[in-house]
Amino acid sequence: MNIIEVNHLTKYYGKARGIVDVSFSEEEGEIFGFIGPNGAGKSTTIRLLLSLIHPTSGDARVFGKDVRKHGPEIRQSIGYLPSEVYYYEGMKVIDLLKYSASFYEGDFKDRMKRLSDIMELDLNRRISDLSYGNKKKVGIVQGLLHRPELLLLDEPTSGLDPLMQRKFFDLIREENANGVTVFFSSHILSEVQRLCNRVAIIKEGQIVEVSNIRTLQQNNYKKISMTGENLTPGLFDLPGITNLQRENGSLNFFYNGDINLILHKLNQVPLMDINIEEPTLEEIFMHYYE
Amino acid sequence: MNIFFRELKANLKSLVIWSVILILLIMVGVAKFSAFAGNPEMLTMLDSIPPALMEALNMNALNLTTLSGFFGVMFLYFSLMGAVAAAMWGSTIISKEERDKTVEFSLVLPVSRGRVVTAKALAALVYCLAFVGITWVASLVAVQPYQPDASFFSFLRIEMAAMLLIEMIFLAVGLLLGCAMKRYKRAGSTAVAVILAAYFLSIITDFRQELDFIKYFTPFKYFDAASLLMNNQIDGLYLAISAGVILVCISAAYWVYNRRDLMI
Repeated sequence: MNIIEVNHLTKYYGKARGIVDVSFSEEEGEIFGFIGPNGAGKSTTIRLLLSLIHPTSGDARVFGKDVRKHGPEIRQSIGYLPSEVYYYEGMKVIDLLKYSASFYEGDFKDRMKRLSDIMELDLNRRISDLSYGNKKKVGIVQGLLHRPELLLLDEPTSGLDPLMQRKFFDLIREENANGVTVFFSSHILSEVQRLCNRVAIIKEGQIVEVSNIRTLQQNNYKKISMTGENLTPGLFDLPGITNLQRENGSLNFFYNGDINLILHKLNQVPLMDINIEEPTLEEIFMHYYE
Repeated sequence: MNIFFRELKANLKSLVIWSVILILLIMVGVAKFSAFAGNPEMLTMLDSIPPALMEALNMNALNLTTLSGFFGVMFLYFSLMGAVAAAMWGSTIISKEERDKTVEFSLVLPVSRGRVVTAKALAALVYCLAFVGITWVASLVAVQPYQPDASFFSFLRIEMAAMLLIEMIFLAVGLLLGCAMKRYKRAGSTAVAVILAAYFLSIITDFRQELDFIKYFTPFKYFDAASLLMNNQIDGLYLAISAGVILVCISAAYWVYNRRDLMI
């Protein structure tokens, strides 16, 4: 079953572009990555799903329900972590969490304790006294507190130190293992690579690719780097070679094509060393943005 | 309910500040009255003031040497303060969530925007009631030394009812501005500008006969202290207009807030 279903969703803020004709879907239990640089439309998409803003055209469904008509009902089962966290400054952390929990059915006392222990959050401090990173921790606990079925994470790791990031990732994996669907927006590819099953790449408001993270890495490109004497770029004039770079004595490029052809070519060149590897997501990503 | 109680708590400070100012105003006012009270020389002095000025200060037809007359003049301050306080409460209680960027928390909770507006409007209404209550009690305490008669108490009651109505009108206007304005930082100042405009309109109507129709556009004319004192009741027509204005503003507030994009 599709937890999120987005069809030709378009949002303009007056004349300014938000997103244009975005379509994708996320299945139950997936961790779905949503990658793009700042201003590509990631937050716009999430805010449309939460009906904080309304689409110019197209529609979106969460849990099979139209986000425009069933907003409160849908949000009952959503946990949201915004990229920048703002809460009522005068409140204590514990009062804020209790206030938040009071809107959902159930008793979350033990869970509040457990989550705040994991994230090392001091419940008795005032929101206004918290640092950016600590506010983010409040956001994580608040977003997860009511046992949501869908987590919308908008650049969740900004402000967290590496240790906390790891704890956070473990927490997300644990939630996911318990059946929680995760929508993970980020511009940091390595974390998406670590966590997600599928990714959508968004560029200037439009989806350029939706694919399995493995196929994205495996199918097309090989990154080949070699060392040897008398290596000149002219030796490799095969179609499918891109990003050819020469650095004192070594040659690097991406290859997309018949693997036998390139091996045959490599055989004819005297080499001292060679590396054939899968490009990182980072490198693939740069390719989409060229 | 939880939104309602949180709002009551969160804005308590502003209610306290408004109340302190108002109590001071009443104390100073009544202290001044001690100079007017039953003093015939004061009447002759007042007669020498140009009528236009008297009109502007709303002192015509009110005998300042009686307690009721004096509170008729005080009503101007009560209604202005009530109007400003109510409009500020109404406009900021909605727009502050966008100003403080807390909408990404409060409107992601499983509540409809309508429910949020209802809870916040009720919290602001409670504040308006409390403000009138405090004005009433402070007035009763302050006039104790003059041992007013029953007619004063009944006039004060009408005056307080009128003050509440003015508050409710501007609360509704404030809510509409808070809900509708995309430039949320200006919602409060726009609300005050509306009040000042309404107040000056109410003064202008007194100056020229042909401008009399303007009185329907300014709530300050609906509840004129002199006519309240004379008739000892609130005019039915103006009551109906007030109810209409409140109803239209509130419905428009819900309508707009449900449809618009939140500014984040």
